[in-house]
Amino acid sequence: MIEVNSLKKVFGDTTVLESIDFSVEKGEVVCLVGPSGSGKTTLLRCLNLLETPDGGTVTIGKKTMAFDGSGRVKKRDVNDMRTYTGMVFQGFHLFPHRTVMENIIEAPLTVQGRNRAELVREGEELLGKVGMLEHKDKYPDALSGGQQQRAAIARALMMQPEVMLFDEPTSALDPQTVGEVLRVMESLASEGLTMVIVTHEMNFARRVADKVLFMDGGYIVESGTPADVLENPKEARTREFLQLLEE
Amino acid sequence: MIEWFRDIQWEHLFDPELAWESLPFLMQGLQITMLIALAGMVFSLLLGLVLAMGRMSKYRLLRWPARMYISFMRGTPLLVFLFILYYGLPVIGVQFPSAIVAGIVGISMNFAAYSAEVIRSAIMSVPRGQWESAASLQMNYWQTMRRVIIPQATRIALPPTTNIFLDIVKGTSLVSVITVHELLYSSRLVAAQSWDAMTMYITAALIYWAVCVVISYFQERLEVRYSRYLSKR
Repeated sequence: MIEVNSLKKVFGDTTVLESIDFSVEKGEVVCLVGPSGSGKTTLLRCLNLLETPDGGTVTIGKKTMAFDGSGRVKKRDVNDMRTYTGMVFQGFHLFPHRTVMENIIEAPLTVQGRNRAELVREGEELLGKVGMLEHKDKYPDALSGGQQQRAAIARALMMQPEVMLFDEPTSALDPQTVGEVLRVMESLASEGLTMVIVTHEMNFARRVADKVLFMDGGYIVESGTPADVLENPKEARTREFLQLLEE
Repeated sequence: MIEWFRDIQWEHLFDPELAWESLPFLMQGLQITMLIALAGMVFSLLLGLVLAMGRMSKYRLLRWPARMYISFMRGTPLLVFLFILYYGLPVIGVQFPSAIVAGIVGISMNFAAYSAEVIRSAIMSVPRGQWESAASLQMNYWQTMRRVIIPQATRIALPPTTNIFLDIVKGTSLVSVITVHELLYSSRLVAAQSWDAMTMYITAALIYWAVCVVISYFQERLEVRYSRYLSKR
């Protein structure tokens, strides 16, 4: 489903991603973990081209793109690539001037030109699934962080992506609403949705991930099953990081 | 000091009868004022939008002229610009069909510069995350602009845009100097005839004020409408 080869990303003089190789199979859940500044979020954003990589290739679904470091990409290619992915942001980024229902049907309506009544039906079903149906006519400002994030997940799902990208989806939440968002994500995983998740929730990664990538300093230091990486890390840096989290 | 105050002839401050009798004549002037003001609002907003887009463009060839234009218009008095249009241009053989047209053009071109800055800052104040989430949903630049950014920017731009509109209404009085028979011009005619400048200019001021009060009222209504998605705190 996803194939990344020798991916590179530079911001000015600093290299934030270097020779990144990994792949994600259909239906797999992959968690990216590591200290802040390690490049996890940048890697995720390279997958839907919110950042343009400076080298390497990325394949998602049937679309492959190679990057030559010029920073130039064709709009057409970017669009093709994005049809495969949906993204959930740390800060939700719902459209504040639209209700929950309007938020989730906005893109299918304007981008795909689909029928409104049909979308509303689909939307109600999806909102039911993430436990947001009763809030469908509220504006984001009237919702808690956890509710907003669940609505944002539904909004991304409405475009029927083959891969969902989560960028620290619970980091901006109050502790008491983290659980409701993780539960929604877990149920999506159990339905076989392919997901790539940047997270600091190690227990969630242990329980849900098929694969964990530990990143530090722009490299993938270690990867494997949660048991391998999180319980019996081989690399010293992974051990240090996990120890710090426990303290 | 006290003598100076005692000598003021309060009985000549305001002659309601004269004000009332000249009202129909002043209303004719007000029509021209409103024509120029409304046209000025519409055109300055449209031109302002174009200028704002130019100013934010990634192409220097669009950015620079927009920048220069805004700098020039904000840095020169409207009255001087009106003189250039109405008295200056005929020297090189360019003539407006009427002074009213020259006034509308001058006011629109001048206030467009202010409008451009308001629009630009409103658009820039919409958080970057809105662009990114729209992009991740495959919305393109114009879809994002139209459906996501502009509705939010409108709420932000509303109070400063109203300020510009109020300035436009008041700014129309300047075109009286280029022979347009608008409200101030009409008041001056009556003032000259009746030898009562005080009454006539106070009346004119009150009429301008009334127009501005109406505009402020609409702003408040619109502000409520555009803020309905925010919880009352």
